Amino acid sequence: MLEKLGLLLPVLFPLVAAVLVSFKNLFSEKRVPTIAIGAVALNLVFLVIGLWQFGNQDIHIYKVNEFLDVFIHVDLLGMVFAYMIGILWLFTAVYAAGYMDHEKKQRQFFVFFLLTEGITLGIAFAGNLFSLYIFYELLTLSTFPLVIHAGTKEALESGKKYIAYSIVGATFVLMGMLLLYSCVPSLNFEPGGVGMALQDPTLLLVAYLSMFIGFGVKAALVPFHSWLPSAMVAPTPVSALLHAVAVVKSGIFALLRMTFFVFGPLVVAEIGAGNFVFGIILITVVLGSFLALHQINLKKRLAYSTISQLGYILLGIVLMSERAMAGSLIHLLNHAVIKITLFFCVGAITYQTGIKDIRKISGIGKKMPITMACFSIAAISLVGIPPSNGFVSKWFLGTGALASDSMLSTLVLLLSAFLTAGYLLPIIVGSFFTKPSDALQREGNLDPPAKMLAPIVILTVIIVVLGIFPNPIISLVESIASGVF
Amino acid sequence: MQSILLLLVVLPALGGLFSWYVGRDSERDRDIFNIALTALEFLVITMLFPMVYKGELNFVMADVMGTGLHLKLDLMRYVFVWLTSGVWFLTTVYSAQYLIKYKNRNRYYVFFMMTLASTIGFFLSENMLNMFTFFEVLSFTSYFLIIHDEDRYAHRAGMSYISMAVTGGLVMLLGIFILYDQTGTLNLTLAQEQMALLGDSKYVIGGLLIFGFGVKAAIVPLHVWLPKAHPAAPTPASAILSGILIKVGIFGILITSHILMSSDSLVGMVLVAIGLMGMFSGGFQALFQRNIKRILAYSSMSQAGYLVFAIGLGAMNAKYKGMALLAVLMHVINHGIFKVLLFMGAGIIYMILHELSLNAISGFGKNKKILKVIFFIGTLALIGFPGTGGYVSKTLIHETMTEVFHYYAPWVQVTMEVAFTLASAMTTAYMLKIFISVFMTDNPAFAGQYKEHVKKRALLPMAILSLGVLLVGLFPSPLIHTLEHGLEVFHAKPPDHLAYYSWKAIQSALITIALGSILYATFLRKRLRRAIGDKRIWINPTISWPQLEENVYLPVILKLSDIALWVFHRIDGVLLKSIVLVRFGLARVGNVDVSRLFELDWSRLDFTKQVKHTDIDVDELTESVKHTAAQAQQRVDKKVKDVVQKAHNRASSMTWALYMVASVLLLVLGWMLIRGM
Repeated sequence: MLEKLGLLLPVLFPLVAAVLVSFKNLFSEKRVPTIAIGAVALNLVFLVIGLWQFGNQDIHIYKVNEFLDVFIHVDLLGMVFAYMIGILWLFTAVYAAGYMDHEKKQRQFFVFFLLTEGITLGIAFAGNLFSLYIFYELLTLSTFPLVIHAGTKEALESGKKYIAYSIVGATFVLMGMLLLYSCVPSLNFEPGGVGMALQDPTLLLVAYLSMFIGFGVKAALVPFHSWLPSAMVAPTPVSALLHAVAVVKSGIFALLRMTFFVFGPLVVAEIGAGNFVFGIILITVVLGSFLALHQINLKKRLAYSTISQLGYILLGIVLMSERAMAGSLIHLLNHAVIKITLFFCVGAITYQTGIKDIRKISGIGKKMPITMACFSIAAISLVGIPPSNGFVSKWFLGTGALASDSMLSTLVLLLSAFLTAGYLLPIIVGSFFTKPSDALQREGNLDPPAKMLAPIVILTVIIVVLGIFPNPIISLVESIASGVF
Repeated sequence: MQSILLLLVVLPALGGLFSWYVGRDSERDRDIFNIALTALEFLVITMLFPMVYKGELNFVMADVMGTGLHLKLDLMRYVFVWLTSGVWFLTTVYSAQYLIKYKNRNRYYVFFMMTLASTIGFFLSENMLNMFTFFEVLSFTSYFLIIHDEDRYAHRAGMSYISMAVTGGLVMLLGIFILYDQTGTLNLTLAQEQMALLGDSKYVIGGLLIFGFGVKAAIVPLHVWLPKAHPAAPTPASAILSGILIKVGIFGILITSHILMSSDSLVGMVLVAIGLMGMFSGGFQALFQRNIKRILAYSSMSQAGYLVFAIGLGAMNAKYKGMALLAVLMHVINHGIFKVLLFMGAGIIYMILHELSLNAISGFGKNKKILKVIFFIGTLALIGFPGTGGYVSKTLIHETMTEVFHYYAPWVQVTMEVAFTLASAMTTAYMLKIFISVFMTDNPAFAGQYKEHVKKRALLPMAILSLGVLLVGLFPSPLIHTLEHGLEVFHAKPPDHLAYYSWKAIQSALITIALGSILYATFLRKRLRRAIGDKRIWINPTISWPQLEENVYLPVILKLSDIALWVFHRIDGVLLKSIVLVRFGLARVGNVDVSRLFELDWSRLDFTKQVKHTDIDVDELTESVKHTAAQAQQRVDKKVKDVVQKAHNRASSMTWALYMVASVLLLVLGWMLIRGM
């Protein structure tokens, strides 16, 4: 019992903490951010202990039959995802405590913030498709209040859009699962697939595509991407989380689980599912970059950039080679770290100066040197200039695409990298190499307070370290990929 | 001991960052620190010579940057590395004086030192991916040097440079992807063996790599950034860009064609053609320019053309490979020295007058003896006057060309001879243009000596460089002897006999120079000058000519991006429209039932009827009740309408979601039925 609790604690503790924080007479509003940071930090400790001491066990929380089975089992992939969540959540908590101090409704924010962490960890811990689906649905519900946090008309509209897309997506997933259940013995994740009978390839194809579209909605697959830029009305810490970690990466994670741990690469190749989604993904990559080029709102530009970068990861999934899969896993991590840093920097700019428009940021690097230096490093990483971590993922994806004889994907990757340079470099150049406007000129140093600056700087250090010493990560993901293939 | 190679890269990189820290407190300390740093780098590299001469140095670090770091220093690389560190040291000394009037000097030095680190790293790389890494870092750090002035011109030049550099980098990366995919290795020596086994795909790889390096080497037609970017940077950076960074591209092309491609003769022919075009178009454009730095920039492009030409010659005929590559290494050194010297000279003028146009500075140098002598030596070297380094290397290139084309038809021989002579004559003509108008024209406005503006630390580097030019020119044998050992890495035999100062060679150099002088006297002086008042000023008719970048590249790229944007907006538009269509279509279907349901409830809530049936006789009361009832009804009407509206909205968005799902399920079902399930 204690062992089971040890593993489940990282999922349960944030939920309990969220409930406790919601009581008004227990903690005063002022203390909420501190409590939340403490809870997230403590949860990281629980996560490390849980995975280290009690990691290797199967827990059937509630089992009706092979299908209706809430099952917890953490493998290497789940572990990587869980650590990523645990660590990035801590940074976001600290940043949010700084960022939210001028906004109202902090308690509401942090309650759902904690809830979401527990649920996202649940996605990482899920041992079969059904449990993953449950947490996936819960994620939509728990992030919805965060999206509409501002309470403005625009926020409500975006929230409506977000929930409509998510629910439609989840319905597709459910349909796919139901179809799939008729041809497989169980939906428990096994590296390389659960071993399904191939007598009915069309049914499998429909199931796969239906689930791909369903999870693809959260992963901002074109044509289901438009919720993502609209969701930018949320407070910046939320945008950072939604875009780098929680929601979009859960979609990707679910796709990885489904493709490599339920169907398995052999089956997916056999039913020819790649042909159906390949074109869409290539369009996603290029369309995201192209539209990002034409955004003048900083956060929107990053949102479209996310669409394109998620396309990279999806591309790695459908290319069906060990190398490409390793590439998509590396990019999953790298993009999370890079994008969260970029959003934090943009949030810091808005927090300090109120600027949201790209045309107005000229010379801001001279007033916020540390923030913009971090932004520059992260941006250059995203473009994939070596020796940054973004280049490591690009290298694996590019060579992986060639290993699958897909010259087209390599070209699309490079084209997109060029466009990425096109929409990020002007920000760097504009902020450092032009003269500040008169209003900015009068200000002193505008770097944000330590609570916001510290996460930015530490994340940037992580980016640099991951770029120069990527080998531990590479060997880790290669061991995951080689288990699948 | 081998790890000293890593030190060569890390030292300037960390030192550059540290210098920023130092410079926040004291500019003087920072300048001293930087000079000491580059001096140390130069000293270490110089002291490595005996070791490198005995055998190559290797440094391998397995667990970094994914594929590991492999640095190698052999004699061929040593030439580039030594030149780089030496020139950098002198330029840093020069910068300490030159930059005094510039802003943001601290930032400048950080990027200046980072550029040094990545340049050294590039030349040392044995692993293709390491090489690419340093190449990209180099592109970015030098970009920040180019836009240092932060004005419109610098930004436009920088834009042109960085877009070309990023494009080149990505094309090169594609080449590396394919190389790795086909050979499974990134190590240059191993890849050479594997490449030899490949079929035509090796031309694809080679072509992509040469494209990437060619952007830096400013080969035609990838040169468009050079004439803008080189003049835009502060002069020390221009000197580095022209003197060293072009060599980065040259080194890459050399490695690709002679190591990876094993001196393939087809590649050789293409390079010869490209090189010839570069020699010509660079020299031709330089004739018309009026900005002294721009003339020098075009001249660099032309000289890079010579280098590419010579590399190509070496690949065309294996017999003369040694001779050609010797010429390449020799010219790399010479051009590195004299081009930096010339830029520094131009920088001195700019430092005093803040003008670069020949019309504004004409006659400035008439009485400045030291500057005149130094600039004269640089000019002689560039035009290949006997007794200077330029003469030695140009003679070598010329010899090789004669030998290689010896096997071809006479008309080819004659054409090549004429082309080479013409290109060299143009060099003489544009250098005479600078020299005569700056140093041999009378201009009473610049009678003073301006000695207070120019300190020794600016002149000293120039004096050292001009000594170097003369030394190489007068006593080339020790250098040549060393370089011959450097050819071992290419498996090339050094040439048997070399007579630099044969009468024939001197004659041909003098004929070329004479031709150039005639070109200057007849064409440049007569056609490119116009009298305004009592002065004759230079004009540049090429400004109105169509430009490759403005009239070809940009329109094509903009058009393509417009088309792509249009297509994507269409896709987005069609998607949105179809979603809206489905949404409203379904909502309409759903609307009917929902509204009727609420209409029924509403009729039951009719207030007026209830009021009418009450038994109250008093009229006023009835009136007032009627009045209140009417008001109440209005209110209720409104309220009910709101409720209906809200319920309807909620219902329709719910129904919409449901209908969406249902219709998709139907579609899928229908599709499955059609597929015969």
